[in-house]
Amino acid sequence: MEYVSPEGLRLDGRRPMEMRQLRAEIGAVAKADGSAVFEMGNTKVIAAVYGPREVQNRSQQMNDQALVRCEYSMANFSTGDRRRKPKGDRRSTEISLVIRQSMEACILTHLMPRSQIDIFVQVLQADGGTRSACINAATLALADAGIPMRDLVTSCSAGYLNTTPLLDLNYVEDSAGGPDVTVGILSKLDNVTLLQMDAKLPMDTFENVMQLAIEGCKAVANYIREVLQENTKQLEYRRGV
Amino acid sequence: MVGLSVGEKHFIQGGIAQDLRSDGRKRLTYRHIQVETGVIPQADGSARVKMGATDVIGSVKAELGKPNPLQPDKGKVSLYVDCSPTAAPMFEGRGGEELSTELSATLQRCLLGGKNGAGAGIDLSSLSIVEGKVCWDLYIDCLVVSSDGNLLDALGAAIKAALSNTGIPKVQVAAAVSSDGQPEVDVSDEEFLQFDTSGVPVIVTLTKVGRHYIVDATSEEESQMSSAVSVSINREGRICGLTKRGGAGLDPSIVLDMISVAKHVSEQLINKLDSEIAAAEACEEESGHG
Repeated sequence: MEYVSPEGLRLDGRRPMEMRQLRAEIGAVAKADGSAVFEMGNTKVIAAVYGPREVQNRSQQMNDQALVRCEYSMANFSTGDRRRKPKGDRRSTEISLVIRQSMEACILTHLMPRSQIDIFVQVLQADGGTRSACINAATLALADAGIPMRDLVTSCSAGYLNTTPLLDLNYVEDSAGGPDVTVGILSKLDNVTLLQMDAKLPMDTFENVMQLAIEGCKAVANYIREVLQENTKQLEYRRGV
Repeated sequence: MVGLSVGEKHFIQGGIAQDLRSDGRKRLTYRHIQVETGVIPQADGSARVKMGATDVIGSVKAELGKPNPLQPDKGKVSLYVDCSPTAAPMFEGRGGEELSTELSATLQRCLLGGKNGAGAGIDLSSLSIVEGKVCWDLYIDCLVVSSDGNLLDALGAAIKAALSNTGIPKVQVAAAVSSDGQPEVDVSDEEFLQFDTSGVPVIVTLTKVGRHYIVDATSEEESQMSSAVSVSINREGRICGLTKRGGAGLDPSIVLDMISVAKHVSEQLINKLDSEIAAAEACEEESGHG
């Protein structure tokens, strides 16, 4: 199948290096300490952060750092064909772990010993790149909760189809069988915290695809920074500063 | 869990006794209801309902299926509720399962009628295509995104709004029946039938705190309840289902009194909800064309 037309357009009309429309909103869940909605095209996720608070399970308490926990869940109606999946299947456990590890890399856990931070991400619509969208939503929610962080972790995926590197794959492109490189970076420190790829790819091509994904992450980081600044301005305005 | 001090508890109970609740409402006043339709593009119909900090999403998906042999002239509806851990950390893992099951069962009782489908709030015979052969299966999935009390009423409202947002594709039945006895159907992807929701009931929950009862309780108020009665009532003022929750016993006369109060409140709620749904549909259409 042709994923990039001779004119250089993808199935949804994007250019190969073009991202889907981003949209983010802070404060989607009133009762949570921090929350955010993050949309990448048709992919839409909600993240809620509770904490830092007392550790629920005493045996997991750590005396030198905070315990970070994460749970990923998908709504029944999030995929095209309706499926009722049991909670805690392997895929969600793996994604929960990935998100937790990426977030742990940026949270200053040593400042909050003997406490616990819960991150819950809920997928409302899945159209490829849920992993990335979840990480971006979690970053925003953590920032909204006022949890001290080293930097913003952002994530984006890239692929390689019809000998063209493609940024931010949607579901159709993701299921095409080509490689899917998901990268998470600490945007200012320029460190990679997450790197996953399936399928095979020549070394030099991989470098290009990964570089493209990193560029995507940086674009996401810029957008997230704008959203956070706008939110802070609003808060200042409401306070009358 | 809601952690309240003795003083706070007295404050809530005293306020309810004096008909002035902590957020300034009277005992029988709802919070502002905000409806948004078409929030899930993959579904055939969807709606998001916010009442204060309570936030729920309802979605409807229609699939072709085979009717139950006992009711060949009726379609099937299944209803599930999921509590997302974003709403409360206690819903993590399997923690939300108990509440989800309770809410699903109550909603099924309130909207789908008895085992034989009699007295259902949703008109099941309109889902039949070829009697005994083909019918529509409606899957109603709800998600609790944020919870601040009165989930049942919010879910009922979300389902009503999602159903009125639902377009069921028109179906052409070929006259000739194929060899295996299964009629051939042609599902149109352009023409849709608006689902008739005029008969779908609303749910009114009366929560008893002390000697009085209130509608649309927040989670703080719910923590002080002795018992609660949820009544589902349609536009004609008929009761479509009833559930009592909570441990304390109720005098039968109080139950009857609560039902009549619920009936009175439901009239206002239906009108308010209908106008909110109409406004949401108009808003969606505008953005869709613009």
